[in-house]
Amino acid sequence: MKGEDDPFERLKNLPPRGHHALLGIYNVDDGPDWAELACPFAPGFLMDAGAGLVSSGPVVSLIDAAAGAAIIARTRQWRPMATLDLRVDYLRSARAGSTLRARAACYHVTRKVAFTRCDVHDGDAGDPVAHATATFFFTGDA
Amino acid sequence: MIAGTPYAKLLGVREITGDDETIVLLLPADPKLEGRQGFLYGGVIGSLLELACLDAIGRELGDPERRPKPINMTFDFLRGGLMVDTFAQARLVRIGRQVVNADATCWQADRDRPIATGRMHLLLD
Repeated sequence: MKGEDDPFERLKNLPPRGHHALLGIYNVDDGPDWAELACPFAPGFLMDAGAGLVSSGPVVSLIDAAAGAAIIARTRQWRPMATLDLRVDYLRSARAGSTLRARAACYHVTRKVAFTRCDVHDGDAGDPVAHATATFFFTGDA
Repeated sequence: MIAGTPYAKLLGVREITGDDETIVLLLPADPKLEGRQGFLYGGVIGSLLELACLDAIGRELGDPERRPKPINMTFDFLRGGLMVDTFAQARLVRIGRQVVNADATCWQADRDRPIATGRMHLLLD
């Protein structure tokens, strides 16, 4: 399903609002069961301005956004859902000044639950910053 | 201490003294923290839990220059977060020579009804 009736295409064209807008999160690329989102670096992401230490907070928010988008890319449905759990492995610190990229895949969906995994890097996909798994629950009746 | 970092300032995190004289992180409601309309963004709740862990460790070590490295963190989201003031506090379960295990809780109006919990492992350099 493509075009303006497709919920995923509609999602991609929504203007950013709320926390997505604050972080500057935008869509990069997508496929039948995955989505890649990015978040440009901002000085407000630092934990320590002097040491150039980037907080893992924006990484968590970007993962949450990418995982949610991957589910809609796979299901092609806009269903209300809630994050059940999220686990993040921090493989190394992100570099100050680098854009973060998160590619999430929704690898399984049941009637009520969607399972996702996500890789995050800051320029080189071969040298990842974080890996995450997240589970979502469809809150509506279906 | 954590409230002075650029990222905590971006979110608007403040430190307050709770009823039991311990330090609690307060995140005042703000449209810039919204996810789905009317709800606090899940990533923000996760970030607040993480900051609570870092704050608790920073106080325990008493050395703001010493920054433990996050190894991993697991979040459980228990209830949708409303656009109201949100609180978080962490407890250090174990402080080893190299690894710290921390537990954090996030709540809104009622501390006995947490909206999320988190467990974090950190590496001490």
